[in-house]
Amino acid sequence: MPLSPIERPPHREVLPGIHWIQECGRHRVAIAQDLAAHGARWAGGGRELHVPQNAYLLVGERTLLFDTLSPAAGGLVLAALDDILGGRPLDYLAISHPDVPHAGNTGRIRRRHPEARLVAPRAGETHALYHLDDALHVGPHDVIDLGGLTLRFPEATFLDAALHTWMCEETTRTLFTVDWLGFPHVSGECLRRTDEIEAEIDVDRLEAFHSRVMFWFQYVDVDRVRAATDALAREFGGYHLAPAHGLVVREDPERYFQLMNEVVRRVAESGRGGVL
Amino acid sequence: MSRGTPGAPDVRDTEGTAASTPSITVTDGVEWIHECFPEGDAHLHVSVYLVRTPGGDILIDSGSFHHRDRVAARIREATAGAGPRALILSHSDYPHSGNIPALRSEWGDFEIVASCADPEIQGLPYARRSRIGETLEVLGRPFTFLDPPLADRSHTTWIYDRVSRVLFVADGFATLHPPGACDRFWGALPAAGRAAGVAEFHRQTLRWLRYVDPERLMDALVRLFETHPVVAVAPIHGPPIEVADLDAYLAMLGDAVRAIVRRQT
Repeated sequence: MPLSPIERPPHREVLPGIHWIQECGRHRVAIAQDLAAHGARWAGGGRELHVPQNAYLLVGERTLLFDTLSPAAGGLVLAALDDILGGRPLDYLAISHPDVPHAGNTGRIRRRHPEARLVAPRAGETHALYHLDDALHVGPHDVIDLGGLTLRFPEATFLDAALHTWMCEETTRTLFTVDWLGFPHVSGECLRRTDEIEAEIDVDRLEAFHSRVMFWFQYVDVDRVRAATDALAREFGGYHLAPAHGLVVREDPERYFQLMNEVVRRVAESGRGGVL
Repeated sequence: MSRGTPGAPDVRDTEGTAASTPSITVTDGVEWIHECFPEGDAHLHVSVYLVRTPGGDILIDSGSFHHRDRVAARIREATAGAGPRALILSHSDYPHSGNIPALRSEWGDFEIVASCADPEIQGLPYARRSRIGETLEVLGRPFTFLDPPLADRSHTTWIYDRVSRVLFVADGFATLHPPGACDRFWGALPAAGRAAGVAEFHRQTLRWLRYVDPERLMDALVRLFETHPVVAVAPIHGPPIEVADLDAYLAMLGDAVRAIVRRQT
């Protein structure tokens, strides 16, 4: 059954108190062609293929924005914040890692919301190079209580740069996995949870993202990565999954850990799939 | 300019992190401009390079906004005020790309060649995108863009200057160095701390190394140098490595990666 389009603005409350803001960007022709060549019928039919950036605004008694979208979406994220906050202050602006597609609107948001306390990963040694030395630094032993929502900051198990954190919210049991568990979607699937789209997320779709972004999977000892993934599954089994470059997973999250083990095996065997 | 030789003078500024000259010659037509960042008891270079061409100077990366004024001053002095005519970006991580707006403000809308990612998403809508595997001419000089085995961001490219045979390697081939040795090439760093400097940088910075099969990674690096022979390797976060010292660096890197992996198991 065809899905009805979601009207602008591009955000929704995807779980209680968790507002998902999505930047879909342009059609990714090369990735669409690769997927079509692998028989991915969901990626055909003249639909646009998106590799999104996601930001999440958590609203309890206090508010926190996790990541900022890319500089190409500065107006979008500010409009979404206005929409959701409705005049309330933004209490915290948290950066998962200072990569441009995640942190590229930090300055604009801070100018609009000078009241927001900047939150950055404790991990890493070079905060001053990113103007993050004065931020509130958070790590695995820290908690931010938003009043009704409780945030922890587990180590980023799969990451690019060292200055990096994941986040989890304990009331809804949601793990924010940043660059891990990304995958493309097509027009019609924007801002849909995986249980709301027709196609089942499969290894091909996850591989299309990770073989480009987690380029280092091509050099790994697969068993070592599998052990880390299995440890994650034990710690966060049953948590909803909220990636920065995919759709939110509410149902059967355990399945995704298994899919990712297969993704790693494939990339280690076949090499990098290209770039985004 | 000067050359990076043992015992080169190290003139400090108030942060204790400055180089003594605006630029240091790597090889004919390629110069190293650096600032340092204190990291524990050691220093981390944050560098840019100048490639001299008949059509003007090409800047490789832009440095960190943390060092904005000093980097701009060094570029100004090294180019006799003319500034760069083009800039090639290894990737848009802030310590590499953070000064682009300031440099364009001073020297105008010179050509920007971005790394392999979508320039709009990277905040560089005015840039020309490079693609891994291709060779582009910039101010008439050919550069080949390579897939980097050592990187943090996925949108990193290594930049091979086909004229000088210098390979610009972004976050690859880095090392921490002791205070007082900021101007020295890697082969001229005090021997006693070189291995530790290589190991500590990689342990801190490329956190994914904990998962690798060290031999697969090192094989990829060796193959890359077989197909792209170098005179020197030019990292952003370490001093240049002359080809005579490359095997020694690779040996220390291999040891460092194996130690990182062992620590995880």
